[in-house]
Amino acid sequence: MPDSAFPQCRIVPLRLLSPQTAEKFLGRCAEVPGIRRIVINGPGLPATVPYGPARGSANPNSNRRTIQVGGAAVEMKVQAGTFILEVDDEGVIEEIRTVCDEFFTAIPYRLQTGRFMKSSPSLVDYAKYGPNVDEAVVGLVDPRKRDGPTIIPRSVPRTAGEDCLNQVQREHTSDKIN
Amino acid sequence: MAYTPQYGPGTSVVAQNRRNQMNPNFELAKLRSITDEDVVLILGHRAPGAAYPTAHPPLAEQQEPADPMRKLVKPTEGAKAGDRVRYIQFADSMFNAPSQPYQRTYMECYRFRGIDPGTLSGRQIVECRERDLDQYSKMLIETEVFDPATVSCRGATVHGHSLRLAEDGMMFDALQRCVLGDDGVVKYVKDQIGVPLDRAVEVGKPMDEAWLKEHSTIFHSLAGTSLREDPEYIEYIQRIHSLRTKYGFMPKEE
Repeated sequence: MPDSAFPQCRIVPLRLLSPQTAEKFLGRCAEVPGIRRIVINGPGLPATVPYGPARGSANPNSNRRTIQVGGAAVEMKVQAGTFILEVDDEGVIEEIRTVCDEFFTAIPYRLQTGRFMKSSPSLVDYAKYGPNVDEAVVGLVDPRKRDGPTIIPRSVPRTAGEDCLNQVQREHTSDKIN
Repeated sequence: MAYTPQYGPGTSVVAQNRRNQMNPNFELAKLRSITDEDVVLILGHRAPGAAYPTAHPPLAEQQEPADPMRKLVKPTEGAKAGDRVRYIQFADSMFNAPSQPYQRTYMECYRFRGIDPGTLSGRQIVECRERDLDQYSKMLIETEVFDPATVSCRGATVHGHSLRLAEDGMMFDALQRCVLGDDGVVKYVKDQIGVPLDRAVEVGKPMDEAWLKEHSTIFHSLAGTSLREDPEYIEYIQRIHSLRTKYGFMPKEE
C-alpha cells in the first residue's frame, strides 16, 4: 500500500456523538460515491465491566447498539468521536466537506486531510494475519479483536467495473487510567 | 487569630472559586436535595437501611491507654462507633467542572475531619469512616461542587475527564452510570462501581454553560477562563517554579 495511494480525511466533531447521530451522519456519508474505507474512532464501550469490584459483570450501555449504515448493520463498540475516511480522489473530500457543513450545524467540527490510517502492517498485524495480509484490511481492523471490517455495498460505483467496497470498522482506543 | 488564611493567589473568578471552596467559613450553596437512601445507593457499600458494619468495637468499650492527644482530638462519630473505612470517588471533567481533584483534596482537608484523600489527575478519592462518609458525600453531591453532567461518582473505570463531552453535554462514561433523562434530569442507574441499581437515583438537572464557567475552578483557555487572564496566578507559579529550581543551590529570593 503506497503512502500516496488514496487521499484520506479526518472528521472531528467537538462533541462525542450518540449512536443515533453517528448513524445519521454515516448514512449521509454512505451516499457519497467514492469512499473506500471508513474508520470510526472513539472511547470504548466495553461489554463487561473491565475494572473494579464489578469486573466481569454485564455493562448495559445505551450507546453500545447496532446502527444501520448504507444497508449494513454496524455494531457500535465505541462512542463515535472521530471519523477517518479514505476516498478515491480529492474531489470526494470536498463532497464530504459539503455533507459535514450541512450536517454539523449545532456542533462545530474540523475536517483535516492527510494520512490517518496505518499504511503498512505492524508487528501485531503480522502476528495475526501473517505475511500475506490483505492490505485493504490493514488500518481498519484492531488486531486485538476477533471481528473484521463491515462491508457496506457501494451505492453508486464511481468507475465502471470497480469492485472496491466501502468498509466500516470500529477501532478501539485504549482506556486511559487516570 | 491575627493571621487570616489566603488559601490561594489570583484575581480571576477561577481563583476566587478556589478560595471559596477551600474556606471552611464560606457556605457552599446547596443546589439540590438528595435523600440519605439515595446517597447510600450511589455509594454502593451497603444496602439502604442496613446497620453500619464495624471494623472494631466502639471506642467506649475499648480500654484505651491514657494519652493527652486522645483528650485533645475528639473522634468522629464513625470512629467512635468503630465503622469500617469506605470511599467515594469523583471524576471531574476538564470542561469547566465546578471542582477538580487537587481542589477537592484541599477543600476536604479544610472542611472535613478524619479523612484520607487520594488525588490523581482526573479523579479524586476520599476515604473515611462509613458514617462520616455518608454525610460528607451528601454535602459533596448536594452543593455547588457537583454538577450532574461534568462531575460523576466513579469508583472504577474512571476515564472520561479529559475527553470531549458527549453530544448531550454529559461527561463520557464507559459504564454509563448516569443517564440524562428526557425530562432533563440526570439519573444514576448504576452505583459508583458499575453495579446496576434497583431504582434510578435522580441527582438533578445539569447546570448551564454560563453557570459552569462562572463556578469553575479549572483554567481552560478554550472553554473557560484562561490562566493568562490571571497575571497574579502566573507570578505566583513562576515564583514557586523559580524557588524549586534553585532549591539546593541558592534558595533565596532576590
